[in-house]
Amino acid sequence: MRRLASYFTWLVWLTVCLSLLVLPAANAYIDPGSGSLIFQVVVGAAMALSLGVKVFWRRITGFFSRRSR
Amino acid sequence: MTDERVAGSFRDPAGFVFRRDAALYRQVNPRFAQHYDQLMTSGLYETLTGAGLLVRHEEVDVAPHAGDAHRVLRPEIIDFISYPYEWCPGQLRDAALATLRAQQLAFDHGMSLRDASAFNVQFVAGKPVLIDTLSLEILPQGEPWVAYRQFCQHFLAPLALASSVDVRLLRLLAVHLDGVPLDLAAALLPGRSRMQPGLAVHLHAHARSQRRHADDAGAEEQTKSGAKSGGRFSEQAFRGLIDSLTAAVRKQGWEPGQSAWRDYYAAKESYSDEAMAHKEELVAKFVGELQPRSVWDLGANTGRFSSLAARTAASVVALEMDPSAVEVSWRQAAAGETPTVLPLVMDFANPSPGLGWAHAERQSLSDRGPADVALALALIHHLAIANNVPLADVAAWFATLCQWLVLEWVPKDDPMVRRLLASRHDVFDGYSEQGLEDALADWFEVVRRERVRGSQRTLYLLRRR
Repeated sequence: MRRLASYFTWLVWLTVCLSLLVLPAANAYIDPGSGSLIFQVVVGAAMALSLGVKVFWRRITGFFSRRSR
Repeated sequence: MTDERVAGSFRDPAGFVFRRDAALYRQVNPRFAQHYDQLMTSGLYETLTGAGLLVRHEEVDVAPHAGDAHRVLRPEIIDFISYPYEWCPGQLRDAALATLRAQQLAFDHGMSLRDASAFNVQFVAGKPVLIDTLSLEILPQGEPWVAYRQFCQHFLAPLALASSVDVRLLRLLAVHLDGVPLDLAAALLPGRSRMQPGLAVHLHAHARSQRRHADDAGAEEQTKSGAKSGGRFSEQAFRGLIDSLTAAVRKQGWEPGQSAWRDYYAAKESYSDEAMAHKEELVAKFVGELQPRSVWDLGANTGRFSSLAARTAASVVALEMDPSAVEVSWRQAAAGETPTVLPLVMDFANPSPGLGWAHAERQSLSDRGPADVALALALIHHLAIANNVPLADVAAWFATLCQWLVLEWVPKDDPMVRRLLASRHDVFDGYSEQGLEDALADWFEVVRRERVRGSQRTLYLLRRR
């Protein structure tokens, strides 16, 4: 239970830190929305990872489909 | 010389569009010079225009409309400006994918879209094209996508609603001109939409984040304070975001259902083969004689007569109330079968009004006319009987839309009119061929009048007085 609580504290701390580091583009004339900017930073790592896995997977399947031809 | 700033072009300090005499120009203000020059020198302009994703322009040596200008551009003219609330799901989806593809290519050239408004997309020859050249800025290194919120509201939310709830919810875009608010979309979507990873993240969790940070008074200041310490939103995260949005959009499919209009021709209830062939022959002859540039097909169904008109006219807009019929028509246009036909969803009892700031940002349907020729084939009974609009008012409205009108008269003993009257009292004493001609007389002169063989219907060729 203590481990779970510390995990959440860490997650909240990370989110707050990331949110401090977001900057709207200098030329932005539309409102990017602070919730939308912060959200991207929070999910950004997962997006990057998911794309990485996807590309890796394509390479593997591509390798085998080339070999089987 | 008349100079006029285009009404929908006032938000962005980087530049604006203005009309001088008959020509359209885009002024690039000095503050945006660096970004515009990067677009032109990085190879991105050639890449995007080559892929048909961005409207072409030429730089011209004309006086700016106001203040100093870095450049004045003359963009290629789009025949007909349409709005997202007039599109079928397939059009909105294609526009979304074009926006994301443009963003990917921009990213490859060190640039990025700084807005993702569906109003920035228009359809040319069956393909979506971005029309705002000034949307592209030098990529702000290490920052999240400034247009992410707008993309989700303008594209993903309405597509998800059309796909998972009801296609009629696309009309929400006429009420919410900056896209469907994500909390509204999340509330309307069924629980199972959370099972789709794309919607779970970009709509549901995104909406929660917006709600949580809605009252962040110091958010702007906080975000600025982190400015100087370099990149935090990695390139891979940016690419991952665009890839994830693309996958989410691709999942939002919508198949046109069985609808009365879509299967109208197949049913052959209202036309014998002979009548249909003669009607086609007459319409082709009338339009062929007029050699119009623009044709509006009012009540176009799946665009059978629109494609007939497209043999002659360079620009045909096929306006139809039923999204299923419009979707079928759009797929034909997008597949290159009828590329000059632009199908749009339009209810003539409530056509698109002037919307936005001062009622002028988005033009009403009639403000976008008049067309050289309008076709009103098998439409009159829907207006005069199903919607109770007096014939005199129908004639006056047609007169605002076109120079020439090809109108099909459908008499009371026609099966389609009998069907409309089956469940209601016939309160339409004036609905007769003579009544129609009297109503038209104030606005049009009759140039040709031909009975459609094998039917009780009459085809008129009318010239605006």
